[in-house]
Parts: sequence; structure tokens; C-alpha cells
Amino acid sequence: MKKIFLALLALVPLSMQAQNPAPANPQSKPIALTGATIHVGNGQVIENGIIVFDKGVITAVGGSATTFDRNATEVVNVAGKHIFPGLIAMGTTVGLQEVASVRATLDYQEVGDINPHVRALIAYNTDSEIIPTIRNTGVLMAQAVPQGGMVSGSSSVFNTDGWNWEDAVLRKDDGIWVNWPAFLARSFSQEDFSITIKRNEKRQEIINELRRHLVEAKAYAEEKAPSPMNLRLAAMKGLFDGSTNLYVRAGYAKDIVESIRFAQDLGVKKVVIVGGDEAYKVATYLKDNNVPVVLDPIHRLPTRADDDVYLPYEQPGRLHKAGVKVALSYNDEWWRTRNLAFLAGTAAGFGEINKEEALQLITLIPAQIMGVDKQVGSLEKGKLATLVVAKGDILDMRTNVVELAYIKGAQINLDDKHKRLYQKYKDKYGQDDLGK
Amino acid sequence: MRKLVWTLAAWLTFGTLSYAQQTFPRNGAYDERSGRYAFTNATIVVDPQTTLQKGTLLIENGLIKEVGTNVKVPAGTVVTDLKGKYIYPSLLDLESDYGMPEVKKARQSFRSAPQLESNKKGAYGWNQAIQPESEAATLFTVDTKRADELRKIGFGTVLTHHHDGIVRGSGALVALTNESANQALLRGAASAHYSLDKGSSTQNYPNSLMGAVALLRQTYYDADWFAKGGSNQENNLSLKAFGQLKGLPAFFETTDKLGVLRADKIGDEFGVQYIIRSGGDEYQRIDEIKATGATLIVPLAFPDAFDVNDPWDADAVTLAELKHWELAPGNPAALARANVPFTLTTSGLRNKADFWTRVRTAVEFGLPKEKALEALTTLPARLIKAENQVGALKKGMLANFLITSDDLFKNGSEIYENWVQGKAYIIKEMNAPDLRGTYDLSFAGKPGGKLKVTGTPSKPEYQLVLNDSVTITPKVSLTNQLMTVTYQPDKKNPGTVRLTGWLSARELQGEGTLPDGMPMNWKATLAEAYTEPVAKTDTTVRKPKELGKLIYPFAGFGNESKPKAETILVKNATVWTNEADGILQNADVLIQNGKIARVGKGLTAPAGARTIDGTGKHLTNGIIDEHSHIALFAVNEGSQTSSAEVRMSDVINSEDVNIYRQLAGGVTTSQLLHGSANAIGGQSAVIKLKWGATPTEMWLPEAKYIKFALGENVKQANWGDVARVRFPQTRMGVEQVYYDHFIRAKEYTKAWQEYNALKNKSGVTPPRRDLELDALAEILKNERFITCHSYVQSEINMLLHVADSLGFKVNTLTHILEGYKLADKMAERGVGGSTFADWWAYKMEVEEAIPYNAALMSREGVTVAINSDDAEMARRLNQEAAKTVEFGGISEIEAWKMVTLNPAKLLHLDNRMGSIKAGKDADLVLWNNHPLSIYARPDFTMIEGTIYFDYQEDQKKQEAIAKEKARLIQKSMEAKAGGASTQAPQTRRTRMWHCEDVVGIHAEHGEKE
Repeated sequence: MKKIFLALLALVPLSMQAQNPAPANPQSKPIALTGATIHVGNGQVIENGIIVFDKGVITAVGGSATTFDRNATEVVNVAGKHIFPGLIAMGTTVGLQEVASVRATLDYQEVGDINPHVRALIAYNTDSEIIPTIRNTGVLMAQAVPQGGMVSGSSSVFNTDGWNWEDAVLRKDDGIWVNWPAFLARSFSQEDFSITIKRNEKRQEIINELRRHLVEAKAYAEEKAPSPMNLRLAAMKGLFDGSTNLYVRAGYAKDIVESIRFAQDLGVKKVVIVGGDEAYKVATYLKDNNVPVVLDPIHRLPTRADDDVYLPYEQPGRLHKAGVKVALSYNDEWWRTRNLAFLAGTAAGFGEINKEEALQLITLIPAQIMGVDKQVGSLEKGKLATLVVAKGDILDMRTNVVELAYIKGAQINLDDKHKRLYQKYKDKYGQDDLGK
Repeated sequence: MRKLVWTLAAWLTFGTLSYAQQTFPRNGAYDERSGRYAFTNATIVVDPQTTLQKGTLLIENGLIKEVGTNVKVPAGTVVTDLKGKYIYPSLLDLESDYGMPEVKKARQSFRSAPQLESNKKGAYGWNQAIQPESEAATLFTVDTKRADELRKIGFGTVLTHHHDGIVRGSGALVALTNESANQALLRGAASAHYSLDKGSSTQNYPNSLMGAVALLRQTYYDADWFAKGGSNQENNLSLKAFGQLKGLPAFFETTDKLGVLRADKIGDEFGVQYIIRSGGDEYQRIDEIKATGATLIVPLAFPDAFDVNDPWDADAVTLAELKHWELAPGNPAALARANVPFTLTTSGLRNKADFWTRVRTAVEFGLPKEKALEALTTLPARLIKAENQVGALKKGMLANFLITSDDLFKNGSEIYENWVQGKAYIIKEMNAPDLRGTYDLSFAGKPGGKLKVTGTPSKPEYQLVLNDSVTITPKVSLTNQLMTVTYQPDKKNPGTVRLTGWLSARELQGEGTLPDGMPMNWKATLAEAYTEPVAKTDTTVRKPKELGKLIYPFAGFGNESKPKAETILVKNATVWTNEADGILQNADVLIQNGKIARVGKGLTAPAGARTIDGTGKHLTNGIIDEHSHIALFAVNEGSQTSSAEVRMSDVINSEDVNIYRQLAGGVTTSQLLHGSANAIGGQSAVIKLKWGATPTEMWLPEAKYIKFALGENVKQANWGDVARVRFPQTRMGVEQVYYDHFIRAKEYTKAWQEYNALKNKSGVTPPRRDLELDALAEILKNERFITCHSYVQSEINMLLHVADSLGFKVNTLTHILEGYKLADKMAERGVGGSTFADWWAYKMEVEEAIPYNAALMSREGVTVAINSDDAEMARRLNQEAAKTVEFGGISEIEAWKMVTLNPAKLLHLDNRMGSIKAGKDADLVLWNNHPLSIYARPDFTMIEGTIYFDYQEDQKKQEAIAKEKARLIQKSMEAKAGGASTQAPQTRRTRMWHCEDVVGIHAEHGEKE
């Protein structure tokens, strides 16, 4: 295998590229990956498995006895490796921001409070230098999300490879994002640099304002030929027929329950809670109402001084066990998105959830939440061949070494800016070629 | 001789007291009087130790003439019989801003341009927060409204000062009279006052707590130099005034227990024992507070109960806040038990009228009454050397005293009169008739129900029982034995009956008018004498006996007793030695006396040792975080290009829960660094995370480090357009900052060498001690080591060259995200690199940061550490280290050293930390999994043989926290139901710091501002 791998590498020009590698060409002939441990993504693990895909679609997955046309298929022996569904990063600003301190590179927040009509779709920059770096830890899909205001805008789901947004997009406009006013507000004292957290007295006004917009959007959606036309209201139409999600950023338990009731009351069909710091307190409510949760980065400190020190790490397991659909995210920390797998690993290490279940928090469940689970999220026949071949356990840093990656069956060039600089200085110092 | 002078001075002061101002012209006839009054048959509390029964107090001209049981009252004396009543010396508060102008605290806007120089015009010092020239005596004016407020609760004199700045000048002793300021001002320059609060100063420096400490220390040194001849080189009215404060009783205002320790430490450096105004939480660290030897001025501002009826609201309140609510009233008692001398103050009370409720609560909690009285009279008087003037009732002292109904500390006791300098201020009518009892009412001669009078004589409560069923509370006013009563007899038919009347023996009578205007007369005849109801058992919810236990530190996860070092044998573990042995399988490690005693196989446990089974587990060194900002009250003194004088050790917050959280991630030692706002930052504090210990106990003073910084923060690139004033604004400027400062440090060193070499120093002004240059001189002498925040190769190369040419060494480059580009140059000079595993993209200078950095540097021979700069990441440093295995293929043993042995080397602590070897500190972690695995967490974390984090114990602690909170929440609700005033649930927490954080500019990590 190593030979094949090196041979593949040799195909990639090692000359210093000043820009990202070219997107992959579409799959031209059937490919079979053999000999690896296949983590299907639905909890199933196949030792010494075979996965075959053609024209971007998985045609067979199974054990070593799986049959396929060996003559017509390019067989890649990846014995000893592990195959995973491409990881899915929800709630990111990948493609929308490049250098945090340089305003010209930031395209994730519009002015104004109510912006359901602004779309991440068309701002997603496929040439971002961040994107190839996140592919290198297995993230093959990312949801780009507008930030800020009360209604931030509309998100879309992308493959992390493509010539332009049109080429890269997996699902357009999958949902509208709302920031629920927090139950507790914080204020900073410049005198003693402390932060005071107390009840937010101004939130009802914001909730009333949100209600007005949603009520009017619902009425607008009922009109066949609305007049006058209104971009904002039109953008929210899908919320009422279940074709798009309402993503509500809410952290405190009260906010979570309140916002779900609010959305249900207004006839919103699909609600997703994002953030969810205290979701564990209302796990039963979430389960009973069939509301999934996208957790903020669990690599964070507990919200409160007296909280269990491991609470953020344990929460995915607690929710999962309680029957709540949970996805993990790196939210707006675009460059850290490459650590997505390690959030799942931490959840498995500290919480009551096993590794295969933890893997689902960044594969199948996000796909389900975003309505793309018919295409991606697990390695099953008929789904897209969007997958990763890694040295070992993808959730652990030491073995999260991505050796091959395919998006819709097309093999991705795994070069990135960091590798290029690494190579440049290895050459300068004459260091041996070690590691990834 | 000195004493004589003082007495004489006192005499002169007294002399002017009793008379009106002789120098002032009069309007109308002169009105001089003897002011001779005698109070007889009173219980006289002369001082806390002496009480006279049936005593007489004789005063004249505002002074006490005589006190005793056998006093001859001369003719021409106004005599008042105080049978059954008490006389007390009036009270003295040392912490007051009475009569001072208002201090407008500077609200610095960080959106405005910095103010580098003082706004104060004239030949004063350079810093606006240093105001030794401020004199309370010259600022003082009489404020009759506030005087009245204080007199009502029994105060007669206060020590007042202008609460503005770090050095606040002198205080004045003033009487709370309504007469002229000339009479009220008893003594100017009575005291000196200090704090670490810059008050109204709008000048940027200092903008941190450690900066305030440094400024105060530097001022002491400057004043010393000024006195020793510096005055010939520089005129400076502030330093002159500072010198004049020397010798006065020195007062220091702080806000919390650690502040008391901090202030005392400053005093120790300059041989000053401050009298310290504390925050009311001293009981939480009583031993350390006692050890300061300081006398405290203690507030009675006990927190209100929390309104926690909603369980989710209640979550906003921390265990520490709830516990403090419960225990704070016991603070004075705890101080008394520990024999810490203290006075009590009204300052901090929102409503001064609450004073006596608070004092009595403190007494209920175990504060002896005599101590309380002493704390309000004799002790404060002695502290300001006014014991011959106020605080007791002795011949020659001011006639400042109280007439009370009863023992002052008894519930319901009332102050009738407060005499100030021989003048009476009536608070409540002393001889109010006791109307209490039940009366038969008659209107126009016909019986008309009953009038019931209860309450206290001076505050009676009235009730009318008109028929069998109708009970009415009338409105009654009673002055000079005349009475007005109004009430509505029938609630359904509005209409008010108005009665007016007068008292005669056992009877009330007078005229009245019915709602329809019909006049009539009325009468109330005493039918039944009043009987005192049996005192109800006190149902106050904060009963001392039900109190929760103290915890160390006073925070969630604190321990009821400080954990102790144990003898422990860990058996059969996989031991990561970081020594030539590498990783030992199935090995044993014996821990004794805080050290690693033996490493080997088949060790036997000595008697009394605890054996821990390490089967399937990994034993490693504790993680050492080379770059941390946890457990700090502030991080950046970013107001000047260099702040080498500031010390992070001054602002260690031993109560920060992040200490415990780091332990839960296997961290045992952290270097607390200054931020990166300026080219030369402050002196770091390396601490061991001994949860529950004090800042001093955690601190390793031998690790002498200083933070430097390069790049965008130093040149203020991302601080907005207003931050274009402070030098430097470019990387070009940064180089010159270093040259300039180090050249000055060299000259400074030379000047001292020359001075110290002088045989005859007399007449020679010594060089001025400069704390900033001291620190830089230490670097030049290789006694203090640099950790430099750095990103891009150009500036790093520059610093290496500056260091080469000036002959100092850069010890560690931290962050060092482009270290891989200069790894050869670093290795050549033995400069270490402490970096992030994979951070990049958040600003321009990290655009070429790569996760392979650690690997490239390490292979080039640089000692590489992986650090956090983040309270959260610090508890996953094992995961961060593991990334070097993924990125760059570093071996697991080497990766592990990057968070243990290598940072120990960079901190020059590898002689005692960083590997598992007999004789080294037992700072160890037992992991449940391979330590570099993402699935690993500590079973225990130990420092010097003491287990500070234990996974099993942690579960128990969580249960205990939940239980204790539940108890306190119940108690809060009872208190609320019982009528206690409450506050909305809210919590205050100190900030999480990053080195990027400049106050007010950058918000908490992950938040945009």
C-alpha cells in the first residue's frame, strides 16, 4: 500500500505552489478500496472490508467477500487503514472568513438585525486557504453560516473541494439562522475587569420583534402572488412547509424551551437548537419534541464556576443517551474546524458514548439534520462516495492522518499551504521526510 | 520631649474647641456660655472595660470635666436625671469620606486616545493617581445632612480622607457637628492614606492592579531618593508631600482578603504596618490575615440574600456567593476569635440606618459586645493617637457621648441624644411618655370601643377596636404631649374621623370632628396596663449554629481541610520516565515526603503507605504549561512601552476555579505571564497549582522570568485608529525600544556599582532606585530570563541580534509560530520555543503559522514546548502535544516531553520537575489511558505528594456542592419569606485572560466585540 500511496503522491507536483491545488476531476472509472476497517457511520464496523464506488456513488460495501468487476475497477489496497464517511462540520464560517483581523477578508455578517435574505451560498470562497487544511483532518463537508443580528441569514452546505460555490455546493439554503436573546446577560466592568451575569431585562422586546417578522412571513408564504414583494419575508417561506430548517442559537435551558415553543407556535416545521450549553437540562423536552441540537465546540470551559469540570465534554454523551439527536460543531472558529474529529474523540473519552456513536455526531447526524442524509453521512450503497482513508482512528490526533480522500468519488489533492511550507523548510534544513 | 510637644499641641487644639472662633467678628451681642451640664443617675460606660452604675457625667465648654459616682455638681449647672438610662462615649469611624468633595471615577474609554502624562498642572509628580499633596483638612467642609445621618447611629467623630488615587494624602479627624468647619476640624494631617485604585485619574498608567502596586512601590523609592538629595536634582511637590506623610498612621483601602495580604506585603517592603480597610471576607483566610499583624477596618456590608425561587435563576449564583451570604455576618466574630485587632466602619453600607442591625447581627454570630464597642471607640482612637481626645469618657476628653435607653447592643435599644463637643443633638425624645396600655374610648360621653397602644415608648403602635369586629390602625402623631388621630371608621363609606387631644395622667382627651363635620369630644381612659409580650424565639434564618463549613479556597470544589502529602506506592503502571529508561512497563513508583522516592519493579510499600493499583494505567509527570494566564486578576499593564516593573506575583488569584480545572487535565505547574501589549512586559509568576493554598504558597519565586513581546500587539496594529500615539507603531520602533531600555539599564547598573564602591558616601546622592531598570539589569546579569511573545521571523531575528549585541540571552520564544523559519538560529543560541500546536489565521502575523512548527524546530535541536495561553486548552495539553505526532511525526516520547520535561527545562526547573526520577518533586498524574490519547483523563493529579485532584473525589465533590447549594437556597428562600431584603440572582466572575487581551478592547475568547 505504501508504494501505491507514494506513487499517488508522486502524481502531485511537489513544486512550490503559491495557491491551493486544483479541485479533483470527476471520478472516471470505478474504484474499489480493499483491506481496510470500514467505519460505516451508522455504528457498523467492517473489518478487512471492501468499498466500491462508481460515478461518485457507492455501489458496494461489505466484507472481504464483496464481489465487484475487478477488471473494470481500479483496486486500491488500503490494508491496515481505516475508512470513514467524510466528516461534516456544521455551523461554520469556513469560506466566509480568512484572516480575522483583516476586515476585507470577512464576509459572514451583514448590517441590520433581520437578514433572512442574505445567503452564505454566494460568499463561500472555494479558494480560501483554510479549506485544504480542514480536508486534511477528514472534514469533507462544511455548512457555511452567516452570523450576527437577530436573524443572521441563510446557510448552505458545501463540499470542501470545488472550482466555485456553484460547483462545491451540496445543498443550497438549507436553513435560516436566528440568535435567541439570552436569558442571562453579561456585562463587563472596566473597573475590576469582572463579568457580571444576570437576568437580561431587555429580551422580551427582541422576542416580540422576532415574532412579528415570523408571523408576517407565514402570512406572506400563504400568498400566491404577494404584493408588494418582500425579500426578507420571501426568504423565510421554507420554514413553514418544512423545506428549510430554523436554526436557533440558544444556550440556557430556558432559552431552549422558550425558543422551541415559540417556533412551534408560529408553525415552523423544523427547529434545530444550536449552541445548547444547557441542553442536558432539557434533554427529555428535546427528545419529546424531536428537536436536534448542534453543540458549540465542546472544547470549552464549563459555563458556571460550580459546574462539573468535564461537563462540556460529557454533554454529547448525556444527550445521546437520552435519545436526543446531537451534532458537534466548531461554530464560527473557522480555522479550528480541522479539529472537529477531536471533539468527537473527547466526547467518547469523557462521556458515555462509544467511538462509533461519537463518529455519528460528525457524520450521519449532521447529514440528517441538514437533510442531506440520502447523499452523505454514512458509507452505504447508493450514497455519495465522500470518504476518508486514515492511518487509524480518525478521532485521535495520533492516528488522524488522512492518506486519501474522495468527494463524490473524485480523489482530492491533499496538498495545503501548511504542507507546502513544511516541505519548504524541511528542504532548507535537510530534514528527513517524516509524518504527514 | 516629643510627648510633651504632642500634649501641648493637643491642648492648643482643645483650647479652641469650646469657644466660638475668637478671631471671627460677631453679628450682635457676644454669646459665650459655660456649657456646664451634669447627667446623673446614669449607667455610664466609660470605656469597654469600665461601667459605672448611678454615675454622674459633668461637662463644661465642650469637654468632660468629671466622670464618677461621687461627682460634685457645681451651682449653675444644667442637671438631667438619667435614671435607667445609659451614657456611652460616641463612636469613631476611621474609614470615611465625610465632608470631602465627590470623586468622579474615571471611566476610561478605550476608544479614545491614550493620555500618557498627568493632567495636573504645577510642579507635581508625573502620575495623576499619586496625590500625596492632597490634604483632607483643606478640602473639608461641614455637611450637616451627612453629619446628621452619622450622629443618628451614634457617631461623634470620623477620620475622613479624600478617596481618590493610589496615594491619597493626609486624613483629618473631624467632629460631626453642625457648627463651623473651624470647630469641626479637630486635627489635620492625622493619617496617611493609600489604595490600589487610581480613582479619578484619567492617565493611562497604571491600567492594571500590578501596575498600581508597582507605581506605589516606585513612589516610596522615589520619595526616599528625593529625601536623600534627589530634591537638589528635581523639584517635586508630590514627592516632598509624600515624605511628609511618613510617620503618620498609614491606612490602606482594599476590597478583599487577598487585597489585604497584597497591601501588607507592600508595607513590609518599606517597614510600614498599614491599618487596612478590608472587604468583609477575611474569615475565608483568617490565618494568613492574622499573620499580617495588621489592624483591620472591617465593613458591615453583609450581602443580601439571593432571590432564588426559580431553580434556573438560582443556577446563576455560585456556591461561593451563597456561602458568603451565609457566613459574612460571622466575619467580625471570626476576627475576634482569632485575636485580629479591628475596628468597624459604616463605609460600604448602602443605608447607614442599617448599621445597628448589622452590628447586632455580628454580635449574634459571636462577636463579643466589648470587642464591638472597642472596635468603635477606644481602638480607633488609639490608632490615630487620639485616645486622649475621643473614644472614652474621661476627664479632659471631648464631650462626645450618647444617651441611650439601654445597653447599646440590646435589640430595641435606642439612642436618644448624641452630644458632640458639648452640644446636644436630639435624636429621639428621651422623656416620651409611655402611653402603652389598653384604653376605654368614649365619644361624647358614650362608650366607643377600645384603644390599644403597644410597641416601644418612643415608637408606640396604635390600634382601635371600635366594635367587636372592626379593628382599625389609625394614623397618630404625638409631639410635645399633643396628639392627633385620624381614622376611617367604616371602610365601605369613606369618611375620616379627626381627633385632636392632649395627655393627662392615665388619660387622653380632646375634641374631634366626624366625617360629616359634626364636632364632639372624646376621652380614652387607661383600663389595662401594658405588659411586655414574652420575647419570641428569634427566627432569624442565619443562625450561627446552622452554618456551613469553610472551604479552601472559598469556591466550588474547595476542600474543608487543606489536602496533605501522603506516602503512596503506585503499582504496576506504565511509567513515562522522561529519562534514559523511557517508558517502563509494569513499574512501581514510591512517593514519600513530597518527592519521588523510588522507581522500579516489585517495590514494597512502607508502613502506612497507600497503594494505588496502576494496572492498565499510565503514570507521568504533571503537565507544565509554559504560557498561561489563569488565576490572575489582571494580565496587561499595556499603558507604556515597557512595564518591566510590574509583577504577576502581585495579582495571583488563588481562588480561581481554573486552577482546579487544570488539575483535572493533569497540569501541575503554570507560568503566569504578563500579556503582550508592550515590548517589555511584566515579571511572570510560576506557580504550582496547589488548590486551596495561598498565592504565596503556590508561587515559585526562584523562577525569575519576564515577558517580552513582538509584533502586532506591541505596535498596536489591531487596536483601532485611536491607538496611534504610543511608541512604537512599527517593527522598526520595537528594535529601538530594546536598545534604548537595555542601554539605560547598563548605565543604571554602572551608576549603582560606582556608588556602592564609594568609600565615603556622605553627601553623595545615591542613584534613584528604578524598579523597571532593576528588572532589566537582572536580565543583563543572567538572573532573570526572557519569554518573548513572537510570531514572524523578521522581528525574531531582530531580537536575537539585539540580544547578541547587548550581551543578554533570550531564554524562550513563546508562540513562536514562525520559529520553523529560524530554527537553526534559535538552536545555535540555545533559545527555546514554546508554541501552539496548530493555531493560525486569526491575524496577519499568523498567516504562515503551521502545525508542523514544533516538529521542524525540535528536529533542528530547539527545546520545544507546547503551551496553552488559554484556560480551556490547558486542560487538554496532552491532546495538543499529540498533534505533533500527527503533524510532523514526532515520536510519542518526544511529544510527551513537550508538555513536561521541555517546559521544565525552559523554566530552569528540570532539576526538580519534568521527569520521574528518585529525588524529584512528586508532581505526578495517573492517566486512565495512553496520555497522548484523546480518550485519556487523569485518575489523580498530585503535586509534591499531595493529591489535589482525584476523579472519584471529584464526583463526591459535585454531589456535595449540589447538596450545599440546595441547603443554602432553601435558607435564602426562608430569609426572603421572613422579610429579608434580597438581590436578583447574578454572579460575578473574573475574566479569562489571553495574552492578547488588553482591557476593554478584546472581549473574552470567542466573543466578538
